[in-house]
Amino acid sequence: MGSAQSVPPEMRALAERTGFTSEQIEQLHRRFKQLNHNRKTIRKEDFDTIPDLEFNPIRARIVHAFFDKRNLRKAPAGLAEEINFEDFLTIMSYFRPIEMDMDEERLESFRKEKLKFLFHMYDADYDGIITLQEYKNVLDELMSGNPHLEKESLRAIAEGAMLEAASACMARTGPDEVYEGITFEDFLKVWKGIDIETKMHVRFLTMEAIAHCY
Amino acid sequence: MKLFCFGCVWSSLGSVKGHGDCGAESLHSLYCQWATIRIEKGVKKPQPQMLKIPAANGIIERDETPMEKEIAGLHRMEFRFSDIFYFCRKGFEAIVEDEVTQRFSSEELVSWNLLTRTNVNFHYVSLRLTVVWVIGVMVRYCFLLPLRFTLAAIGITSMIVGTTVVGQLPNGSLKNYLSEVVHLTCSRILVRALSGTIHYHNKENKPQKGGICVANHTSPIDAIILTNDGCYAMVGQVHGGLMGVIQRATVKACPHVWFERSEIKDRHLVTKRLREHVADKNKLPILIFPEGTCINNTSVMMFKKGSFEIGGTIYPVAIKYDPQFGDAFWNSSKYNIVSYLLRIMTSWAIVCHVWYMPPMVRKEGEDAVQFANRVRSAIARQGGLTELPWDGGLKRAKVKDSFKEEQQKNYSKMLVRNGSQGNLPAGTESD
Repeated sequence: MGSAQSVPPEMRALAERTGFTSEQIEQLHRRFKQLNHNRKTIRKEDFDTIPDLEFNPIRARIVHAFFDKRNLRKAPAGLAEEINFEDFLTIMSYFRPIEMDMDEERLESFRKEKLKFLFHMYDADYDGIITLQEYKNVLDELMSGNPHLEKESLRAIAEGAMLEAASACMARTGPDEVYEGITFEDFLKVWKGIDIETKMHVRFLTMEAIAHCY
Repeated sequence: MKLFCFGCVWSSLGSVKGHGDCGAESLHSLYCQWATIRIEKGVKKPQPQMLKIPAANGIIERDETPMEKEIAGLHRMEFRFSDIFYFCRKGFEAIVEDEVTQRFSSEELVSWNLLTRTNVNFHYVSLRLTVVWVIGVMVRYCFLLPLRFTLAAIGITSMIVGTTVVGQLPNGSLKNYLSEVVHLTCSRILVRALSGTIHYHNKENKPQKGGICVANHTSPIDAIILTNDGCYAMVGQVHGGLMGVIQRATVKACPHVWFERSEIKDRHLVTKRLREHVADKNKLPILIFPEGTCINNTSVMMFKKGSFEIGGTIYPVAIKYDPQFGDAFWNSSKYNIVSYLLRIMTSWAIVCHVWYMPPMVRKEGEDAVQFANRVRSAIARQGGLTELPWDGGLKRAKVKDSFKEEQQKNYSKMLVRNGSQGNLPAGTESD
C-alpha cells in the first residue's frame, strides 16, 4: 500500500465545503472523468452513457437536477449548460449520509438541504410553489409506462395527494386567498418528524473496507 | 369553509372532510376498477438480486431493498411525495457507479506492487521501489518482448505451413491425427509466446466430439488457451489479412466453421450449419463464446440464446485470469488488436485457470433462454465471477426502452395497490 500523498489545498477546501473525504473525492473525480470522456465539464448528453440510469423513469428529472442553478447555488432559477467537477461534487453532497458526530443544528440544516433538493425536483418552473400540475407531471413520468392506467385515475391520484397536503396547511391561507400550491415551508411541515435521512443518501465505501474484503 | 381552487370537480363543496368523503367515493371506484386489471404475469423485481463481490473499483454500497418494501412502508400521504426518493437514490447510485460500464474497463487491483501492469494507482513510495519497477519495465520490453515475438512468429508460420501440408492429404484418420498434432503443437508454441501458465481443472469433463463447448469471453487469446489442451472446431467470421490466411489454412486440415459476413446475419443459416456439424459425431466439438463480446473477467454477462438452440450436449468451461500478472481483457473501443497484443506480450505472464464442467443438456420444458441462464450461472459460480443480466452489446448500444417501462409498470401497480388499501377500510382487495 502506498503512503498517502500530501493533499493539495484545493482538494482540502473542496473536502471541507462538501464534506467528502479526500479518497471519496478522488474516486468521484475518476468517475467524473469517465463520464465526461476526459473533457473539463459534463453536459446533459454525457449522462446518456449510463445504462443503469436508463432503467429509471424519472431519469430526465435527475439529470436536470444536476444542472439546476438552484441546486448549484448559483442563481434562483435557470439551467446551467455544463458543470465542472466542483458543481458535480456540490450536487453529490446532497446525498451524503449523515455522520454520527453531527450536532442538532447541523443535522437540521442538512435535512433542510436534502428536502430543498427534493422540492426543486418537483418545482420545475422555479416559482417556489409545487402546483397540482407540477405534481401531476412527476406522477406522469413515474407511471407513464403503464398503458392500462387511464388519465382519469392519474388525475384522481394526483388530486388526492394534493388535497391531503393542502389540508395540512389550511391554517395558513387567509379566507380570501387562493390556494396555489405547496410552498417550501409547507413541504417541510409535511416531513416533520419523519426520518428521511436514510432514504436520501448513498453510502460510500471507504478504501480500507474494500482492501479488507479483497 | 374554504374554496380550494384546483380547478377540479369538487370546488362546490364545503369542508375538507366533506371533500374527502365525496372525493373518496370516486377515487375508490377508480382504484377498484384499476386494481382489477391484471397488467402482466410474472412481474420482475426492479433490481435483480445477485451475489455481490465488492469490485476493486466499487465506490458505493448499493441498497438492495426492493421497491415494494421501500415505498410501501411509508404513511399514505407522505408516500406520495417520497416515492420519488427511491428512484432518485437509484438514479444517483447509477450516476456514481454503474455496474455495466464498470465491466468494460480493466479491473484495477487495490494495491500497487511490482507486478502491476498499469500505473493508475501509483503512489510514490520510495526511490528504490521506483527504480526496481523501471528495471522491470526494461526487462519486459527489451528482453521478453523480442523473445516472445519470435516465438509467436514461429508458431503462426508453422501453423499455416503445417495445416496447409496436412490439408493436402486425403480425408481419413491419418489426416485427423496429423491435424490434431499440428494444431496442438502450434497452440503450445503460441501459449509459450505469451508466457502463459494455464491450470486445467477437472480434465475428466473435457468436451467430447459432437458437443458444443461454451465459455466466458475475456480476450481473443481465450481460444488459444483452450486449444492448448484439446482440439476444437472454431466458429467465427472470416477476416481479412493475417487472420484470414490462418483461417483459410486451418480449415483445410480441420473442419472449422467460418462464416462470411453476409451469412452471419442469417441466423437460420448459421444454426443449420452448426447443427449439421454437431450431428456428425466424428467432428470435433465446437467452441462458442455466447457473450458475443469481451468482458473484463469480473462478471459474466447475458448469454445469447442462439448457441443454445442448436441442441446437443453443452460442455461449459470457466476461464478466470489472474489479474496480478497481466491484464488479459481487450477493451476493443480503447485499443486495437495490435496494441492489445503488444500489451499482452509485455506483461510478466498470463496466468489463468480453466475449469471444465460436467456436460449439461436442455431439460424438458426449458426454453433456450432459461437454459442459457442456467449454464451461465454454473460458469459464474465456478469461476468466482458475478452474474449480470445485461447484454454485452451495451458496450456500444443503449438500453432498450422496455426496461424503463418495466420499472414504471411496477411502480404504478404498487401505487394503486397501496392507495386502494388505504381507501378500502373493510373491503377486500381484488388483485
